Amino acid sequence: MIFADIIFVIIIFITLGGALMTVLSGSIIYALMGLVTTMFGVAGLYIYLNAPFLAMMQILIYVGAISVLITFAIMLIGPLYKKPKEWSYPLKFILAAVVALFSFFVFAKVILKTQWTVLSKPFAISAKDIGRLLFDRLTFPFELISLVIVVAIIGAVMLSLYSRGEK
Amino acid sequence: MTGIGLYNSLNVYLLIGLALLACGILGVVYRRTLISMLISIELIMNGAGLNLVAFNRFVAPDNAYGMAFTLFIMGIAAAEAAIALAIIILILRRYRHVEGAKLKEMKD
Repeated sequence: MIFADIIFVIIIFITLGGALMTVLSGSIIYALMGLVTTMFGVAGLYIYLNAPFLAMMQILIYVGAISVLITFAIMLIGPLYKKPKEWSYPLKFILAAVVALFSFFVFAKVILKTQWTVLSKPFAISAKDIGRLLFDRLTFPFELISLVIVVAIIGAVMLSLYSRGEK
Repeated sequence: MTGIGLYNSLNVYLLIGLALLACGILGVVYRRTLISMLISIELIMNGAGLNLVAFNRFVAPDNAYGMAFTLFIMGIAAAEAAIALAIIILILRRYRHVEGAKLKEMKD
């Protein structure tokens, strides 16, 4: 099982490296590449958590839809090399790092102090079980999510129409 | 040939999700353009989904509520990205920049 451990550590490094690249890189398109790397790493973690359906959905929705959407927005915004860089004065970075590290250590203390009641049962939830749960118990939130997405799409179309002045 | 079993521990997944949350907070506070802030918010949502699936796997392994809510988070993230990018394009057409610190008309 040492092989699985090695691959798991590699996936952890991919995830955290992608997250750091997202935050610390100087250009937006590199930050987007870091976000895509992080999403692939999180999909690998989902596979280690015995949830291959969620890993597939992660790659389809995040990498396939949201990243493409953000890429189109970056292309619409135009040449960002003419604008000031993402790196501003270092005091702001130090203060932001203090905020992030403070929250990290507080929540890490909470996680490591709490005694989680971990059950050692085998975990075998298939995509069929998720579907049955969505359509039996969670029907109302499921329909509500579709309503939210429809409203968001109509809102995006209306915003882009009104900004052009065609009322 | 028994490994250390790192992938069978709940705390590892929780700490990875927490690291994603910390990176997202750092990005939201530090980055200048609005699109970078949106990307950082996507990082935070990834961390939240990872936490939910980890709790579903280790604490409540006989139902699938955590996975279902992770799917809901993905839908919310898609809707939020669409509406936020529309607002960012609107701001770009009106003010000719997308920097968060310069949008202080409502602040005065």
